[in-house]
Amino acid sequence: MTLLSDTRYLFVRYLKKLIRNPILLFFSLVQPIIFLVLFTQLFERFANVPGFPAESYLIFATPGILLQNAFGSALQSGNSIVSDMDTGYLQKMLVTPVSRYAILLGRLTSDAFRVLIQSTIIMVLAFLMGAVPVTGILGMLLMLFTIAFFGLAWSGISLAIGLKTRSSETVFAFGSFLTFPLLFMSTALTPLDFMPDWIQTVSKLNPISYTVDAVRVLMIDGFVWDTILSAYLVIGLVAILTLGSTLYLFRKVVS
Amino acid sequence: MSTMIDVKDLVMVYSNGTRAVDNISFNVKKGEFFGFLGPNGAGKSTTIKVLTTLLKKTSGSVHVSGYNLDNDSKEIRKMIGVQSQDTAVDGDLTGRENLMLQGHFQQIPNKILKERVDELLKLVDLENFADKRTRNYSGGMKKRLDLATTLVHRPQLLFLDEPTTGLDPQSRSAIWEYLEKINKEEKTTIFLTTQYMEEADRLCRTLAIIDTGKIVASGSPTELKQQLGVDSIKITLKDCAKDKTTAIKILKSLTGVSNITESGDCLTVFAKNASQLIADIIRALDSLEIRLAGVNFSSPTLDDVYLEKTGKRIRAEELTKKPSATFMGGKR
Repeated sequence: MTLLSDTRYLFVRYLKKLIRNPILLFFSLVQPIIFLVLFTQLFERFANVPGFPAESYLIFATPGILLQNAFGSALQSGNSIVSDMDTGYLQKMLVTPVSRYAILLGRLTSDAFRVLIQSTIIMVLAFLMGAVPVTGILGMLLMLFTIAFFGLAWSGISLAIGLKTRSSETVFAFGSFLTFPLLFMSTALTPLDFMPDWIQTVSKLNPISYTVDAVRVLMIDGFVWDTILSAYLVIGLVAILTLGSTLYLFRKVVS
Repeated sequence: MSTMIDVKDLVMVYSNGTRAVDNISFNVKKGEFFGFLGPNGAGKSTTIKVLTTLLKKTSGSVHVSGYNLDNDSKEIRKMIGVQSQDTAVDGDLTGRENLMLQGHFQQIPNKILKERVDELLKLVDLENFADKRTRNYSGGMKKRLDLATTLVHRPQLLFLDEPTTGLDPQSRSAIWEYLEKINKEEKTTIFLTTQYMEEADRLCRTLAIIDTGKIVASGSPTELKQQLGVDSIKITLKDCAKDKTTAIKILKSLTGVSNITESGDCLTVFAKNASQLIADIIRALDSLEIRLAGVNFSSPTLDDVYLEKTGKRIRAEELTKKPSATFMGGKR
């Protein structure tokens, strides 16, 4: 089986690229941290409204900010494959016997790992600010795992667009175009009951809401398995869809 | 010698209808240093992409070291090394890491790989920069590293797509030396494309010239030059403007002269066996009291062969760019 060893080599390659560009990692964290510090201050009094489902806006919004970050990172994932196509590195890999699927898997796993690192940093910061999850360390680990899985599923769509268009501008534009509408029309930053009816409907159909809800119950309520499992179901469906199309497009590029 | 590459009736048509390779056949023997020449867009890189399993051919048959391209692409990938036109090294990795990664792709055991990477770093003279990130390498260093990455699994067959384009003369001659060395010592078969005739003349023992998707000439550099068979004699007159017409008239009457053109220096006479004709030329001009400023003769170079075979035709891309020209042509 060369798939596993090749995936490992490529995972390490992407990891090195990530670590050696710390400024990129730093700037990708600026936005979520601004949200965490400023946004939660701005909306702090939201928590005083009767019917608000948490004791502070910070603890309510932290899961939303975590997923916003994961979502944004995942949607830039296609850039790396575009850059490998542009520089000819993809071709250089393809003329070797390297496992074709390892090229994708190495990318996806390293993207998930990146989301894991970023999420840990945000979570620790939120913890220090007072967002203490009721489920303790185990809950935090499950939260991180859920977020990484979520990131993996959404990386697929970005990779698919990268493979199809071969343009990092398009990948970037698509990512920024998708992030805000999907995020604001989910339960990431606003409780469902506070939304107008039509946005409630959109939010209920929005796959992001399910993951936010799962991370949020781990933060506020405890191990509510119904909510957590339905999140996994939804992420799983998204993954099959996005990764399926990625695989299809990748095969076309590779053959 | 047995055959390394055997191409029969290869056709490659892109999905947009471009017929990049139009029914070519050729073969390359084991241990050969083979040159594939042609202008931009002639089909060189497309041919390489097909032979290196990157592109699916439209029709024809290709065998590499006896393996059929259609069924055994995996086996072929294990035995070839490919340097493409764009230098593809990962700028975030060091030179050593780039080589190691390429070795991992080729499934070379770690212990052997480490030694080989050291050898290669020495071969391409990058030992002192091995642990620096390649982002900071110069263009020549990157090209050398790129070449080294294609050699890490000791390929039996090496494809080099314009390996020295854009390099300074020092780097170029260094790369020529490595290539001659691995061709001679490791018996590596080399398939090289280039735009530099000097490079092809020095390195390659067999050449094929491709133009608009078809092979227009093939043979050893010497054979090709002999086929062209015409020497050129450049004649400079003291008063070119005044004497030119008379000179052309008398030179045309000499036996052996096949053509005369006006050139920058004044006149160029094309003839077989120029060395024997020179005395006749001087005598003829002297008899009319046309005074010479210089005579210069040269045997055909590979440049002459190349231009003769590819230079005089209008490229298809130029035709499509100027629809009015074809329209007028049609009217005439």
